[in-house]
Amino acid sequence: MRAAAIALALGVAVPAAAQTSVLVVSGLGGEPRYQAAFRATGFAVVDAAVHRLGVPPARVRYLAEETAGDARVAARSTKENVAAALQTLAGAAKGESLVLIVFIGHGSARGGEAYINLPGPDLSAREFAGLLARLPTQRVVVVNTTSASGDWVLALAGPGRIVVTATRSGVEREETLFGQHFATALATDEADRDKDGRLSVLEAFEYARREVARVYERDQRLRTEHALLDADGDGIGTLEPDVAGGDGALAAVTYLDAGVGLTVGDAASDLAAVRDSLQRAVVALRGQKDRLPAADYERRLETLLLELARVSRELRAREGRQP
Amino acid sequence: MIGRTSAVVLLLLAVPALVGAQQAGPQAEVTALRERGRYGDAIAAARRANLAPALGELLRLTGQWEEAERVLRRATGERRPDSLLVVLELALLRHERGELAAAFRDFDRFIDAYNTARSLSSDELAAVGVAVQHLSVADPELARDALRAYDEAIASDPGNTEARLRVGALFLERYNGTEARATFEALLVRDSTNPRALLGLAKTARFEGSRRALELVRRSLAGNPNSVDARVFLAELHAEVGDYADARQELVRALAVNPRALPALSARAAVAWLAGDSTGYTAGRREVLGLNPRYAPLYITLAELAARHRLYEQAARFALEAVTLDSLAWRAHALLGINELRLGRMESGRARLERAFAGDPFDVWTKNTLDLLDVLERYPSRRSARFRFVADAADLDVLEPYLSPLAEEAWDRLAARYGGAPPAPVRIELFRRHADFSVRTVGLVGLGALGVSFGPVIAMDAPSARPRGEFNWGSTLWHELAHSFHLALSGHRVPRWFTEGLAVYEERQARPGWGDDLTPGFLSAYRQGRLLRVSRLNDGFVRPAYPQQLGFSYYQASLVCELIAAERGFDALVAMLRAFGEGRETPAVFRDVLGTDLDAFDRRFTAWLEERFATQLAALASHGDAQTGPPTRVGTAERARRNPGDFFAQLAMGQQLIRDDQPAAAVPYLERAKALFPEYAEDDGPYRLLAQAARQRGDLPRAAAELTAMMAINERAYDARLELAEVVLALGDSAAALRALDDALYIDPTELGVHTRLAELAEWRGDARLAVRERRAIVALDPADPADAYYRLARAELRAGDRDAARHAVLRALELAPGFDAALEFLLELRGERD
Repeated sequence: MRAAAIALALGVAVPAAAQTSVLVVSGLGGEPRYQAAFRATGFAVVDAAVHRLGVPPARVRYLAEETAGDARVAARSTKENVAAALQTLAGAAKGESLVLIVFIGHGSARGGEAYINLPGPDLSAREFAGLLARLPTQRVVVVNTTSASGDWVLALAGPGRIVVTATRSGVEREETLFGQHFATALATDEADRDKDGRLSVLEAFEYARREVARVYERDQRLRTEHALLDADGDGIGTLEPDVAGGDGALAAVTYLDAGVGLTVGDAASDLAAVRDSLQRAVVALRGQKDRLPAADYERRLETLLLELARVSRELRAREGRQP
Repeated sequence: MIGRTSAVVLLLLAVPALVGAQQAGPQAEVTALRERGRYGDAIAAARRANLAPALGELLRLTGQWEEAERVLRRATGERRPDSLLVVLELALLRHERGELAAAFRDFDRFIDAYNTARSLSSDELAAVGVAVQHLSVADPELARDALRAYDEAIASDPGNTEARLRVGALFLERYNGTEARATFEALLVRDSTNPRALLGLAKTARFEGSRRALELVRRSLAGNPNSVDARVFLAELHAEVGDYADARQELVRALAVNPRALPALSARAAVAWLAGDSTGYTAGRREVLGLNPRYAPLYITLAELAARHRLYEQAARFALEAVTLDSLAWRAHALLGINELRLGRMESGRARLERAFAGDPFDVWTKNTLDLLDVLERYPSRRSARFRFVADAADLDVLEPYLSPLAEEAWDRLAARYGGAPPAPVRIELFRRHADFSVRTVGLVGLGALGVSFGPVIAMDAPSARPRGEFNWGSTLWHELAHSFHLALSGHRVPRWFTEGLAVYEERQARPGWGDDLTPGFLSAYRQGRLLRVSRLNDGFVRPAYPQQLGFSYYQASLVCELIAAERGFDALVAMLRAFGEGRETPAVFRDVLGTDLDAFDRRFTAWLEERFATQLAALASHGDAQTGPPTRVGTAERARRNPGDFFAQLAMGQQLIRDDQPAAAVPYLERAKALFPEYAEDDGPYRLLAQAARQRGDLPRAAAELTAMMAINERAYDARLELAEVVLALGDSAAALRALDDALYIDPTELGVHTRLAELAEWRGDARLAVRERRAIVALDPADPADAYYRLARAELRAGDRDAARHAVLRALELAPGFDAALEFLLELRGERD
């Protein structure tokens, strides 16, 4: 992730960064290895939010099972504290800003309701949906990485919300791997598949989903978690979202990082527009790949990319950036 | 309603008194005598009681066809209550003599009999079943009607053993081993010595690949020593493992009971052919076809036995003869198809199997293989100089850079060693699912092997088919290719024990650590007298007596080859291979090539083994202080103290101290254990633990030495190889790190991290070709960041001097990520447009 560094180098404002808030909640571990694992994942998300996504530390809040020993933990992850944190976010986050909420821990589904296990009373999906009503205008991304989290999709779905769950239903109750891979997606450049320097929800989701599948396949285990993404608010999660439409399309244009609102001169803006146009042309050509003769496709692709390369080089020169 | 309907009702007009015909009195006596093989007494009793159907059957079963026909024809002119059974016997006689049109006309009448009769007795219902079962060869759906008729026969008379036996045989004929076994076992609950039920169970055991077949058929013969079916079955079991003398003996006894027994005569011809007795084979074949000119089972028997001996070309030819004789011989169509596929004739093999399946949709082998061919059709293939590789696209992209060089290297080395090679190309299929490999090999799932060579075709598990560490695909490939050489050089006549031993021996020549190693279990089996003598070593492969015997036999056979190579030179092994190819059997080959008989060789082998493994044998000897009950710290320590020469006692103490985080204290015990049994190189063994202890005290050279020694023994130790790479890299030996990581790829080539490390090391060392190989593997493994992977590949390609490949790769990167600045810049750089 290079966005924050670029912004600093140019000395320009990064307004979108100021618009992003992050809440991380890690629940009850139950035994030492889970406690340690949940805490580690929580810190990974927090650190990635600050250091890779460019979110100011003041806008990152971490609620964990144990508060002692690390200043990054703001409070214990009780239901009351989650509600209070939401209230704080509602007060601080402006309309149209993005709120990323990540749940880590054990989940369960019982009596027709889905829960995350927290110190004290568990928090149900329905209760959390009620809390989210306090963020009516913000763009909310909820990522529930717990076991048995699939039912959270329907419970939380709504306009302006993206919901990601580690499992596709409450029946998938085994320990999940999704959370740690989602944290890695936030923390590294690897998940930025289109190399545009920004990390979309779709890219993070796809990275974690594919890495989870890779682990299960490598270990030759039956897969007990199938992550879902719902971005259009219809309450129906997608297992393999496509950038071309539906949940995938919306998640592809929702960025988790601090947006880079570069303000440079007019000429550069014109060049940037050309660059963007050429990038769109490449994407459009890619869509015709199966219909075009291979040699014709390659020739047209190379022509477009060479033009794009030259424009990008010039733009970088004007911005004083290195490739 | 059963099967087809016919306007003409011939049969029932003549059988007004069928109802209530029950087996009793004289019939029961005849049946009892027949079941125990007292055919002469049974014939006399049947004559006395005027039981024409039973008499006809007995005369047929003893080869007295003319007399049987006379009896049955006379009976058809009488108004008899058992006339339906007479018709059946006459039809069966015609069928046996090859008068198929007449036989099938008779069988066809039973359908009408069933459909129009108001009621039929249990025996008559069973007769309908037999007739309809025969008709099912032309209309497979009729098999279900046959089963229904048998079921009704049993419902009518639960004591109808004949009907139950027929049900079991029908299930087996239709490849349903589970139901067949249940049926025969249920019969044995009622009569534990029933010879035909035991024989049915024996045949089911062979179908299911169980080692109980031999024991069961012997029990069957104890009940009926004159059972021709059982003798023939036993003869075939002997023939399968190359015991031709024993097979001939069984067939002599069968033919003494029924000199016209076509299965026995066919088996005799097949044994003659297998043993290289062309005169005997020609005479035997002439005799069978003289009795029944359309007897396709002659060639089916030949094809099946030829395939068992890996003579696939000949098996296909025999199967073709069978279908030429009888186009409805579906088993022959299937055998033809299967063996053509083994020879790599994929198109014609598939066509044959489709024909077989249309005729016999119950054939699970054919069904499975056709399903597998659907999978194989989706697999892409790649060519190299002497090979065609076929695998799932995901596997092939990753494997091909390793597969092709390894296979070509193996070919070159084996060709040089053996002075010859199989016809190229050899087709190598790698299966992503072990079940698919199993079907390719034996038609059914459940095969335990890793690979198989049919000669021109090798099938094996892809690395992705098994959990990491279960096998080394590189050594497996080498092993199977060695078989292809052995088969080619011996005309496919090399016995299983020799080619397996030689293939393991070749693995050891290929790479340090490849090939089976000595285990404590092997030496324990030796000490307990559970290893086979060389003269019986083939049994360990084709008929293992206990589960571990197969593995022990592989290792033992490899030691036999090692001994021969050590004392007579490798050329002696090649000479043996050629002698087998001349049709000589194991004793003759030892005599002619090595100048020794098998007894003498066995003695020499035993002496050599005792000498070679004297230390290990002593280390496993009971020291009168065996572990009893759960181990305790004190007990383990005391055992180790009292038994310094006991491998397990020393190892257990070393392991305990490592667990207790006392590595320094563990070292002497682990050193002793290693000296006592140096071949024990598992993850819980002395090498790995000594390496661990060395690392803990910062002695990296020692850790590297232990891990290197372990790698030279254990071909499956994946983690140890990665650990070694880490250690030697810390010592600054990047070449050794490269070797260890490269070695790990032959255990599991799918770990992205290993390829990345290899690529980085190669780039650091300036090994451009290796870097390209690894960067390609990373791309093939569908990495999380494919654009970056393509970009790095593009750079590696350029460093290796392939500008076109670099351009192609960077276009792939930018196709995925058009905003990828570094890749865009590289594209310009490739065009010479420097910034």
